[in-house]
Amino acid sequence: MTTPILELKGVNAFYGSAHVLQGVDLSIGTGECVAVVGRNGVGKTTIVNTLLSIAALRGGEVQMRGERLPRLAGHTAAAHGIAVVPQGRMILPNLSIEENLKLGATLRRPGGWNLDRVYELFPILAERRHTPGTAISGGQQQMLAIGRALMANPELMILDEPSEGLAPVIVDEMEKILRGLAETGVAILLIEQHLRLVLDLAERFYVLSKGRVSAKGLVKDVDRETLQARIMQ
Amino acid sequence: MIINALNGLVYGSLLFVLASGLVLVYGLRQVVNFAHGALYMLGAYVGYSVTMHAGFLPGVIAAGAALAVVGVLLDVVVFRKLADRDPLVTVLVTFGVMLIIEDVVRTVWGTQNYAIDPPAALSGVVEIAGAPFPVYRLFIVAASAVMVGGLVVWLRYTRSGLWVRAASHSPTVAAMCGVRTNLLGPLVVGLGAAFAGVAGIVAAPFLSLNPTMGAEILVLSFVVTVIGGLSSFGGAFISAMILGQVQAFGIVYVPEMAALLPFLLMALVLVARPQGLLGKKE
Repeated sequence: MTTPILELKGVNAFYGSAHVLQGVDLSIGTGECVAVVGRNGVGKTTIVNTLLSIAALRGGEVQMRGERLPRLAGHTAAAHGIAVVPQGRMILPNLSIEENLKLGATLRRPGGWNLDRVYELFPILAERRHTPGTAISGGQQQMLAIGRALMANPELMILDEPSEGLAPVIVDEMEKILRGLAETGVAILLIEQHLRLVLDLAERFYVLSKGRVSAKGLVKDVDRETLQARIMQ
Repeated sequence: MIINALNGLVYGSLLFVLASGLVLVYGLRQVVNFAHGALYMLGAYVGYSVTMHAGFLPGVIAAGAALAVVGVLLDVVVFRKLADRDPLVTVLVTFGVMLIIEDVVRTVWGTQNYAIDPPAALSGVVEIAGAPFPVYRLFIVAASAVMVGGLVVWLRYTRSGLWVRAASHSPTVAAMCGVRTNLLGPLVVGLGAAFAGVAGIVAAPFLSLNPTMGAEILVLSFVVTVIGGLSSFGGAFISAMILGQVQAFGIVYVPEMAALLPFLLMALVLVARPQGLLGKKE
């Protein structure tokens, strides 16, 4: 495996007194695409929320490139080159499309992604750049959320249920974009229930069940039925 | 008639500056700051003391700077510590802060009224529609326009303004994008308090200084923000201008009802449009 860009070691995360992640180990190498799958409510989104300090990390550790992050705050992930495309997209309605994209470039990390390049990738966003961020279709909002993450010039992009609520044709389009992105060397952590997307994109997978990793392996070693069976176990 | 309208514009401008601070703080912290009127009063008193020794402009600068510091402390000591609590708790604490500031003012400056003369350059009158009108009142309108215009430009066209607008809607998304939202609170509350302080000293030559001046204008500032929509600058502007005129003409034409008119207007707006003129439905 390549050098881990992000590593979770025995992570225990809580919402208040609810113990959601229970000793989760997970790693993602540079330029790798890794998927986390599992049924609803098993704690997949809590992995993201732990990195964003929404869920409290009360055990284990998070490492970026081998360096332990002693204290997670909301902006820590971004400061370490992690961009998130959150579940439900979380586009800000009080900002225009262009402002939502500019927000993604808050830390001005060096790299090839800028407004022009995002607009080249998603021309519809350029056409509607002054429109409020939520006054566009769900698929376009997903493009905007991906564009916002790209503006950060991330080393790792985490996508939480990116296919949720999207038409199959839009999911296909998004898959092409993510594949192109992976080829540029950006690592991708894909949290997803859409198994076809996982099987097409990811190199490795983790199955999460009741807050623990119940199975993991290489995607090339499993087919859809096998993966589905591991999720349902 | 024109003079009345101008007086309404002057008072409306003052209300707008004060309401802008409330809107700014509410937008980021989701807290209705009851101490805002007391900050306005404290700014007036601090500005008064400095003006007596060093002149009006240093008084304005001192009021803004001192209140910015008070605002930063208010955010760090009160708003941040209570961020995860029921907003009602924070509101009650701001009410307590208001009482403390009022007591400090009574202790330091006493309970008597004070008056400040306008600076010499602004102390004359101009003739408008055949009637004399104080230059200082026009200065209040201009100063308010500059302050609020500057605030709008900052929020709309700068990176930090973008972060404040983003964090006002979702601190989580702003932080996810790398914004250090814990630094925005002191910035925004400090700025809101500085606005209140400057409004206090700018209003001082127009209204007299006394320990109840904060509570009086606070109530009207709340009326402005409620009519306009709690987090809407545009709504606050329209609302403040309307209330200024209602006050100015009410005193002339229905003096016995003048104090009630703003609340009547607020009740009508709330019945017809509970989210305020430009507020968004929850």
